[in-house]
Amino acid sequence: MSNAHNAGFTGYLQRDLLLAYRRRGEAASPLIFFLLVATLVPLGVSPEAGRLEPLAPGIIWVMALLATLLSTEGLFASDYQDGSLEQMIIAPQLLAMPVLGKVTAHWLVTGLPLTLVSPIIGIMLSLPSDGFIPMMASLALGTGCLSLVGAVGAALTVSLRKGGLLLSLLVVPLYMPVIIFGSATVQAGIDGLNWFAPLAILGAMLATAVALCPLAIAGALRLVSSN
Amino acid sequence: MGSGRDWTWFHRLGSPRWFYETTGRWLPLLWAVTLALLVVGLVWGLLYAPQDAKQGNSFRIIYLHVPVSFLALAGYYIMAIAGAVGLIWKMKLSYMVMKSAAPLGAALTFLALFTGAVWGKPTWGTYWVWDARITSMLILLFLYLGVLALQYAFHSQDTGNKASAMLALVGTVNIPIIYKSVDWWYTLHQPATIKLTSAPSMHPDMFKPLLVMILAMYCFYALVLILNTRVEILQRERKTGWVRDLARQADTGPDNQ
Amino acid sequence: MSMQFESFQQAWDMAGHGPYVWTAVLVSVFVLCWLMQRPLVQHRKSLNSIAVQMRREKMRQATNPEEHS
Repeated sequence: MSNAHNAGFTGYLQRDLLLAYRRRGEAASPLIFFLLVATLVPLGVSPEAGRLEPLAPGIIWVMALLATLLSTEGLFASDYQDGSLEQMIIAPQLLAMPVLGKVTAHWLVTGLPLTLVSPIIGIMLSLPSDGFIPMMASLALGTGCLSLVGAVGAALTVSLRKGGLLLSLLVVPLYMPVIIFGSATVQAGIDGLNWFAPLAILGAMLATAVALCPLAIAGALRLVSSN
Repeated sequence: MGSGRDWTWFHRLGSPRWFYETTGRWLPLLWAVTLALLVVGLVWGLLYAPQDAKQGNSFRIIYLHVPVSFLALAGYYIMAIAGAVGLIWKMKLSYMVMKSAAPLGAALTFLALFTGAVWGKPTWGTYWVWDARITSMLILLFLYLGVLALQYAFHSQDTGNKASAMLALVGTVNIPIIYKSVDWWYTLHQPATIKLTSAPSMHPDMFKPLLVMILAMYCFYALVLILNTRVEILQRERKTGWVRDLARQADTGPDNQ
Repeated sequence: MSMQFESFQQAWDMAGHGPYVWTAVLVSVFVLCWLMQRPLVQHRKSLNSIAVQMRREKMRQATNPEEHS
């Protein structure tokens, strides 16, 4: 039994990674978006390091959130269109496992690259050097939460043609705890405080999301695709 | 109730017709109680309650703000529970209740924010403060709007019901987390000059009208929820015989014999 | 318990806080009334539309009776 579940997880993980590799251009767009919006901030606010510095933790987190949100829309869309989602649902395994595989793949192609690129944006927005490690740590955990929660919204709106805007309306309110503790981790690091505490809460959120979100996603996919 | 496990009441509860007819009998009483409580509570609170030592007369907004906020939050749980009952027991009626609760809750959340803002101006000198409770209320409004938007996004009403019930459930799990996070965030950033925590003890003369208003809002909520659900029932059951009989009785058209 | 204001003018003004209090009250009362009257109007409308539909069905049946058995 458990082997079959693992196969569902790794199978969909590998499949989605391969698909993302074949469509590299598409997978890179959240990253480019992340960098692009970072250039807008000095243009819109001020190029002075002194004015960018206090805003940097919050802005980096807001942009990471938006970049993840942009990419979640397509999480189940192509599978829904070509019918492979139907197959996934009627397969005898627990639906939560392939779902978790897909979301993990999504994190590996969006959340992880965002985390790795974030030091560049940190430099661009003159983030103090003490903030870099907390930023990367919080982004790594936080984007995982964002992918999981965003996938619930993506599953609910999968059958709608113009689901993108609706998806953001559904999901952004649920994102708020993540952004609070994410930017607080960075800020605590800059202020020389103990940034492990907010990071630990982010970790707890991720653990909860890993446990609950796949079930919600599976339920949502069943509901929406049955009609 | 002959045997110990008599579930007929449960299934009867799920019957739209039974709901429509039973609530129809109780509605006049509920109307009377709601309107009476609202009028008594408002007049008592606005004109007879003593004024607050620090806030003066502006504190009278509490008689609207607090009851409305209570119901705005409780309404989300009522909506989510109705949705969950629909998902689990596939009960048509509970989807109708959920659908009626969404716009009602959104309107009450808006009112809570509005009365809070108007109260804020004379008390703290500004309409908007990023206080923990206000921020949580704003997020609650967005959660309601999400449920409403999802409900109407689908062509099939059935899918819309199921999807928004699911979203309401996800939101319910999240609300405590959101509230705790926002609370923590606020203590981190709390400006020292603004203290919003209200007085721990209230004078009984001030408290009694508040209690009346809270009771009035609960009745109001029940009343409007029932009224909206009855409309839902009429629209969904329009093909059935008993609704057609109702329409025939109410019909005052030209060629009705 | 006693009346807090001596005149209508005083109750309206509420020592300078009147505009805030009465704005909150008026908007709230308006929204609450709107919430109450909306289902009442819809209730009547849906009954009417069902009645109209039934009348139309009856007319159709009267004009060509072989359509329905």
